[in-house]
Amino acid sequence: MLQVSELQKSYQVGKNRYEVLKGVSFTVEDGEFVAVMGPSGSGKTTLLNCISRYIPVDAGQIKLGRTDLAALPEEALARVRNRDLGFVFQDFLLLDGLTVQQNILLPAIIGGTISDQTEEQALNMGAVFGISHIMNKYPAEISGGEKQRTAVARALINHPQLILADEPTGNLDSKSSRAVIDSFEQARTSLLATIFMVTHDSFAASFCDRVIILRDGIVVKTLVKGNRPRIAFQDELLDTIKELGR
Amino acid sequence: MMKTFTDIYQILRHKNRKQYALLSGCLLFSVLLIASYSAMMRSPTVLTVLPEGGDSRRQVMMIFVLTMMGCAVFSLYAAGLFLRQKSRDMGIFLALGMERRTLTRILTRELCALTGVSCLLGMVLSLPITLGIWGLFRLLLVDTEEMALSIDPQAYLLPLAYSVVMTGLLFLLAVRSLRRIDVMEIIRERHTSEPIHDIPRWYGAGGIFLLIAGFLLGYQAPAFFVLALHWYPPEGLAAIFYAPAFAGLYMILLHTVVNGWHKKKSVYKDIIATSQMKFEGRQTVRNLLVMSLLIAGAYFASFYTPMLGIGSLLSFDQRPMDYVYRFRMDQSIPELEAVQELAKQYDVAVTDWDSAVMLRLAVDGSAHVETETSLGTTWESVYYDMVRSDLFLRESDYNAITGEKLHLAPGALAAVFDSEGACISSGSFDGSVSSLVTNPLTGRTLPVTSVTDIVNDTLCGHYIMSDADYEQMREGLTPEWKEKLCLFNVENCEESYAFAKALFHAIVDASDSSVALLDGWDPVIKMRTEASGEAYFLDPDQLAAHNFEPIDYDLRDSSNFRMYWLYMPRFRVLDKADFVKTTAVFTMTFVFIALVCFAAVFIIAYTRSMTLAINGRQLYGDLRRLGACDAYLLRTVRSQLKRVFLTPAVIGTGAIYALYAMIMFFNDNRLSQGELLGMAACLLLIAAVSGLFYGFYRRTLRKVCGLLDIHPAAK
Repeated sequence: MLQVSELQKSYQVGKNRYEVLKGVSFTVEDGEFVAVMGPSGSGKTTLLNCISRYIPVDAGQIKLGRTDLAALPEEALARVRNRDLGFVFQDFLLLDGLTVQQNILLPAIIGGTISDQTEEQALNMGAVFGISHIMNKYPAEISGGEKQRTAVARALINHPQLILADEPTGNLDSKSSRAVIDSFEQARTSLLATIFMVTHDSFAASFCDRVIILRDGIVVKTLVKGNRPRIAFQDELLDTIKELGR
Repeated sequence: MMKTFTDIYQILRHKNRKQYALLSGCLLFSVLLIASYSAMMRSPTVLTVLPEGGDSRRQVMMIFVLTMMGCAVFSLYAAGLFLRQKSRDMGIFLALGMERRTLTRILTRELCALTGVSCLLGMVLSLPITLGIWGLFRLLLVDTEEMALSIDPQAYLLPLAYSVVMTGLLFLLAVRSLRRIDVMEIIRERHTSEPIHDIPRWYGAGGIFLLIAGFLLGYQAPAFFVLALHWYPPEGLAAIFYAPAFAGLYMILLHTVVNGWHKKKSVYKDIIATSQMKFEGRQTVRNLLVMSLLIAGAYFASFYTPMLGIGSLLSFDQRPMDYVYRFRMDQSIPELEAVQELAKQYDVAVTDWDSAVMLRLAVDGSAHVETETSLGTTWESVYYDMVRSDLFLRESDYNAITGEKLHLAPGALAAVFDSEGACISSGSFDGSVSSLVTNPLTGRTLPVTSVTDIVNDTLCGHYIMSDADYEQMREGLTPEWKEKLCLFNVENCEESYAFAKALFHAIVDASDSSVALLDGWDPVIKMRTEASGEAYFLDPDQLAAHNFEPIDYDLRDSSNFRMYWLYMPRFRVLDKADFVKTTAVFTMTFVFIALVCFAAVFIIAYTRSMTLAINGRQLYGDLRRLGACDAYLLRTVRSQLKRVFLTPAVIGTGAIYALYAMIMFFNDNRLSQGELLGMAACLLLIAAVSGLFYGFYRRTLRKVCGLLDIHPAAK
């Protein structure tokens, strides 16, 4: 599904150059729910922005299926973003001027694939994610958790191959975080979505199949949940993070 | 249900209509200001009274360029604000897979339509607004025949060009904002700041020094070129010498925004406002610079009326005689008998009648002879026995009129000046005759042994010679070279307006076309010019070619006639009563310009304040969460807004007032009583406008507080 090889990214700030990603490589399989964790400044969000090509990369390969995103021209990239990728941002990035339903339908409208069926699908998603009652409300009128569930529904509307989520629970309280994670679970089970999530929240990450640990721009460890209970996996994640902090 | 992106875009446009309204309003207003200004400036009505190449026309043009700059700055600023507000939406569209090309096309098309409609509307509205304001001037202030405003359609070429340039610039801004590769940067655009790096504290004092140096250099450079280098620099070159003043202004503003003028110990008191201003630095400084220049331009135009008005009204009162007129002796102009007859009709009693015959004789001296070179026009001083003419009075006539006992030896002359040490009523007179007076018809000469300066406010602008010299020099002079001076008082002068008007009309009616001459016309210069095979540019048939308006007896109430006719009588009551009418077009033009500039300043101050509020909304929320009370927030907002309003007001006003005082002083190295009173009147004007500006500041402060949810009651 997603194969990242030797990805490098650096920033120039004044005369100083900061290497943020120093040759990151990993894969995400079809239907997998994978998280990236790491301390602040480890390059998590940069990694996600590079995969989606929101920011240019210095070197490396990003393969989605057989397509190398790093080498894709602008127009083709737009098509991939619209059809093959779904995005969930920490600060939701909903359009304030559109209702919840309109926001959900936005990728379909941009892609020109909207139909009565899509509208029905949006309503179904609303039911799945528990936001049916707010479909005609504007973002300013709903809670953070509801905004993020709207963003998840929007990410799924075009049936993308991969959902990229950047700290989806970062701005939410525990109840809302749980609701968002549930919506990812729902998406995986009901809609067969593949999810790649950046998070610093061990609770959210403990629902994943695999967690990649990033530090100083390199992958230092990969933890697999396997058949263990979620709590046990969360404990291991916490121990690993504690270890990294030493 | 929406099906296409256009539907989405329409919904968002409706939701964000305030942003559209702000941009559209700024564009409309800027074009409206420029079109109104241009319509007024290009109007034949105004062009007629602002001669080509004259200082007034140059000043109007200079302020016009300033206004255009100001309008362009606030329009581009509004466009930048619009794009920043829109940037998040655009970034989200890109993030969700919208093609950049499609989005750019939609945005640029929308901006072009918005600009086009706003600019067109601005141009259309400018016509009724210009005519309306001018009509109000005529209704409320003064109305004369020549005040009828006619509009030249070509005046709309300038606002049209401005609209095209603005559309182009907005197009480029839109393309640039979407061309960035980093999508996240587009999404976060709204939160970016434009910080200025540290500015040394000496920038404040250094700026003030450069400002003063620039004013002095810019003002003195033309005189240096002309007097020391004998070179007339091309138009605009001398303006370069004002550059240090602009650099100084910029440094002062930088220092004000970044460091402030407070001493270090009070830095923490204003830390939020200072840091906010610093991080909005570049735009803020640019805005403040334009505002300062516009305020300076607006005051420069506003000062015209009090300076001219007070100086003139004072000079009317200082005249020793109520009625003074002169005429060439080949004209049949009413004299004592006819004047008394006319006075009787108007129930006016003529007193203190006096008259004297003056000789128009040639004097020697130097004239500038100009040569065109590849570097421009140069000049050299050439001595002529007959360089120009002056009027000469007999010593006994002078004594009879003034009651003085002047006694001049043969060959000695007295040059008469007014009590201000000049002679406003006789432009070419400078008392500089050096050695020779010549009868231009017979060639008889009088070697001059000495010239004494004497003071008399009635007879200033003339030479006095001994009776014997006078008789000798008169021989052979025809009536065209003699002029009669008539002077008298009347009882109750202030109530003799109707008589004054009738006498003025009688004098004009009795004058033939050979004396329909501008006041600079000189028969000796004409002789000299024609002797060298050239036409004399002040001859009536040459005036049109040099863009001068000829003297027309049918337009005897026009400013051109009243101000520039060679034989214009000086009747105190008439001059005083008609002063406002005579200078109406000048005055109204400058008042109009001042209004336009002040309006632009108000708009820029308002948009800047609103931007500070919008950009600072998050910060004020955070401050509140950190425990800041409404009183603290209000103080911070007030401190920010004060800088936006107060800085350009103080700098612009102070700089232009100092420049104006400097110009007044260097005109003749002193400040006359009229100039001092005029400057005092300008101070009153500054106080009135500042009061208005303060009121507008308070209103804006309330609006900003509302936006930030700060309740002024909390103070």
